[in-house]
Amino acid sequence: MINLTIDGKALQVKKGKTILEAALANGIHIPHLCYHPAIKAIGSCRICVVEVKPGPPRPQPACTTTVAEGMEVITQSERLQDLRRELVKFILVNHPLDCPWCDKAGECLLQDLTHELGIDVVDYEAVKVPPHIDYESRLIERYATRCVTCGRCVRVCRDRVGASAINFESRGYFTELGCGHVPLECEFCGTCIDICPVGALINKLFKYTARSWELTKTKTVCPYCGGGCNYEVHTKNGHIHRVRSQGSLLLCGRGRFGFGVLEAPERLHQPLIKKDGQLVAATWDEALDYAARGLKEVIDNAGPDALYGIGSPRATNEASFLFQKLIRAGLGHNNLDSPARYNFARALAGIAAVFGEAQVSGVALGSVKKGVYQSPWEVQEEAKGSGFPFVLGNAHHLSHADVILIVGADVTPEMPTYGWRIMDALKNENFRLVVANPRKTKFDRYANLNLRYQPGSERLLLIGLMEAVLEAQPGYSPHLEAEGFEDFKKTLLKTSLSKVAKQAGVKDADLRQAGKLLAQAQAPAIIFGHDLMAQEQGQDNVIAVADLFLLIGQPCNKGSALYPIAEKNNTRGVCDVGVMPNYLPGYQSLAEGGGAFAKLWGKPVSDKPGVTLEEMLDQLENNEPEAPRALYLLGGDLVRLLPNRQRTERLLQKVRFMVVQDAFLTDTARLADVVLPVAIHAELDGTYTSTDGRLGCLQAALSPNGTRPDWQIITELSQRLGYPMKYGSAPAIFAEMVQLMPIWAGIKEGHRWPHKKISVSLNGKFVPFSTEISIPGEGKYTLIVGKTLAHSGSYTTHAHGPQTIMPGAELKINPADAQALKVNEGEPVKISSTQGEITVPIAVTVEIPRGVVFLADHFSDTPANLLTSNSNLCRVQLQKG
Amino acid sequence: MIYPLIKGLATTLRHCVSKPITLQYPEEKRQVYPRFRGHPELQVDEDGRLKCVACTLCMTVCPSRAITKITPAEGPNHEKYPAEFVIDLTRCIFCGFCQEACPKAAIALNNKYELAQYDKRVLIYDLEKLRAKS
Repeated sequence: MINLTIDGKALQVKKGKTILEAALANGIHIPHLCYHPAIKAIGSCRICVVEVKPGPPRPQPACTTTVAEGMEVITQSERLQDLRRELVKFILVNHPLDCPWCDKAGECLLQDLTHELGIDVVDYEAVKVPPHIDYESRLIERYATRCVTCGRCVRVCRDRVGASAINFESRGYFTELGCGHVPLECEFCGTCIDICPVGALINKLFKYTARSWELTKTKTVCPYCGGGCNYEVHTKNGHIHRVRSQGSLLLCGRGRFGFGVLEAPERLHQPLIKKDGQLVAATWDEALDYAARGLKEVIDNAGPDALYGIGSPRATNEASFLFQKLIRAGLGHNNLDSPARYNFARALAGIAAVFGEAQVSGVALGSVKKGVYQSPWEVQEEAKGSGFPFVLGNAHHLSHADVILIVGADVTPEMPTYGWRIMDALKNENFRLVVANPRKTKFDRYANLNLRYQPGSERLLLIGLMEAVLEAQPGYSPHLEAEGFEDFKKTLLKTSLSKVAKQAGVKDADLRQAGKLLAQAQAPAIIFGHDLMAQEQGQDNVIAVADLFLLIGQPCNKGSALYPIAEKNNTRGVCDVGVMPNYLPGYQSLAEGGGAFAKLWGKPVSDKPGVTLEEMLDQLENNEPEAPRALYLLGGDLVRLLPNRQRTERLLQKVRFMVVQDAFLTDTARLADVVLPVAIHAELDGTYTSTDGRLGCLQAALSPNGTRPDWQIITELSQRLGYPMKYGSAPAIFAEMVQLMPIWAGIKEGHRWPHKKISVSLNGKFVPFSTEISIPGEGKYTLIVGKTLAHSGSYTTHAHGPQTIMPGAELKINPADAQALKVNEGEPVKISSTQGEITVPIAVTVEIPRGVVFLADHFSDTPANLLTSNSNLCRVQLQKG
Repeated sequence: MIYPLIKGLATTLRHCVSKPITLQYPEEKRQVYPRFRGHPELQVDEDGRLKCVACTLCMTVCPSRAITKITPAEGPNHEKYPAEFVIDLTRCIFCGFCQEACPKAAIALNNKYELAQYDKRVLIYDLEKLRAKS
């Protein structure tokens, strides 16, 4: 610690902090403009100048001068104020008096400085700068005239976002921010808008809609990807106008511009019931009675097992918990699952196979706290934990990893938060990044090594990597206690490295270099995502990843962990709170954990595992007697989401009665007998769990406008089904839920589980996996169905912002392939597979290798899953459309 | 004894013949000084366009919340203008803060002061009624 005084106030500050950081942390105000805590200080505006003793006889910038022992700092003096005043006057020379209609007014740093320094007249003159105003770019407007050239936007875009989309143009007095006098073509995350101290960058969705002081701010959690970003929604007169992240200001475009989903014209505000084959509007009571009657009829005729429950990764933890309670306690079986089965649940199952089931001991039940989101379980000194949850990484630690291997994931579109952490990690000069993906992704440009493997050959690549690790350091053995290593080497790692490399389509030398990097790593992390998990053999793929991690992982070092990417905001939460056929909430086994549940619920919990979503669909396909007769869907647009759309549609039609809760009339909801409109996003209270297990708390900012929160609908239905569950609010459900989940010990808002004080003992066993690679279908091209940065699920296709960036599906194709097909950019092409055909325009890009095409699955009018059969990969034929 | 009585009668008689100090309102209207603070109105420029840029400072500063609604909109040349502007004259206290706060001299109090109406709704002024007629 360093002792210093600022304005006579004695302070103790950590070594390495700057004077400005020390002052701001201790409530001492120093005027500043170009400094922002989220980015590196560059000391360009000089407004934060202070007198430093001992030191040079001239004022020093507080933002770049680090504290030293015995330093005396003066922040306010006549001389300093004069200097600051003159500096601000230079900025004001040409600053337009747009304040009355500039959206930044009221929260503008330049306005504040002008007031603070008492500047009433600018007694300088300079030539006018040309008014370059960019109205053309999508979602963002740029006013070069208002720019104060502080460089905040340039730095945040380059250093934190990693897009490097804007930079300074021209020199000296004529400097302006730009991107080559053309409209912006970037990630459209909009971070630059919020970091701009003035109104040089304007959010088009917010422009002219409200003044900054009229807005009510409510803290909540982003409803899109699994990153779980906390943000504020800004509302006025019951309408949402913008969202903004506190602190770092980082958000992706979906989060920042996707709030329009709330007021989308297609949203359902009234329940619908099926009459004569048509869905017609009904009152809530009618719809709930109709739903309960339909479900009861099936239960009475075919037994409670005939009702299958499908949760949704969009629902809150509380709603999901109640949902599984209704099935488990109300109906007495475990036949429930969520669409996470097709991706994230595979990751959990794969990691559990290698690292074992979740175990926790040494946690004690304390007093239940009502009305707050906090676990009553306290972590004791001797708390111990093992099993798969302890291998899952903490996003905040990802930047401490020294080698990150990204395999089968396009990180920024799937989970921007991991992307920002990788950008932080890149500041460490010993950090190495290995990106393995059939496509070129954003992080290729930052990677030390790119492995462009054949689609679907992930397991061969991972075998190759394991062999390369062993080859790089002969006698290499796992750092963790591991069983079956010798057998594993003999069976799976017996093929020669060059043969595996050839099969996977990568170079031997690259594989060897990657092996070397991984073998030398002290804190290796592996990120894997949708591309890898959504394949038919997704679980085998994850087992291969987990095996590799068992070989190289050192979880005792910060950052060394597995980072699977959950697709949606609460994918992890849905699995955590037990919307799974084989786990009770908190990954407790059905056989052992049931006691506590039975005691609290007053009903026994069946120890017979239910059928998974995949198995349930197979039962329907084969007309098995156990096949469900009724479905209760808490959202989850199965028809759009699951591979082989035609099959899903056909199978769902076989179900006698179907209740769907959703915000939109999705393709699945169209097949339902009752559709109950739900509250979403800023209309909800409750909690979400991010991909890395962090609890985010939602607060309702808007009225639900005719819709109802999921949990209320479930309680209403439960009363009508004869198993009344009564709760007054979301925190009341949370209190019951956490009481039953010892593994969530110590969790509260913003904290992650497992708790950091639980000591981890990890061991694993090498699990063999199939090395068969097959991509279904016939055709010259391999189609990858995946995610894009502009959209998240199908919700954002109803929001104006993301639709401006990507209004419809496009088939990404290599230029050579496009030329061979004689199709130009934007022209339609007919894609046909063994399952079906669709026509979409093409986007020519070198990101895609020859013979591969990529299609996003967000759009329901061009459903990508019409082509797939059981995986996100399939062979297709292309034809000029 | 009689003297005060005569004095009093004299005063009464004097007022019978002198000019009355009351005004025969509403037949006669009182003339006000140019700086009198009357009803708020929106000013127009020489081309007849509203000067208002919908900055809402007047609405923010209004102590009696008489300015109830300003809906901003974007014009064809990206200018900001009020698509809706509503002042509830029944709430207005004619303080003139709006005029003082306005950065564009777009709102000003005129010399009108009459507020008596059979229906209060007449006193809720929209953009058309607020536009200065001159």
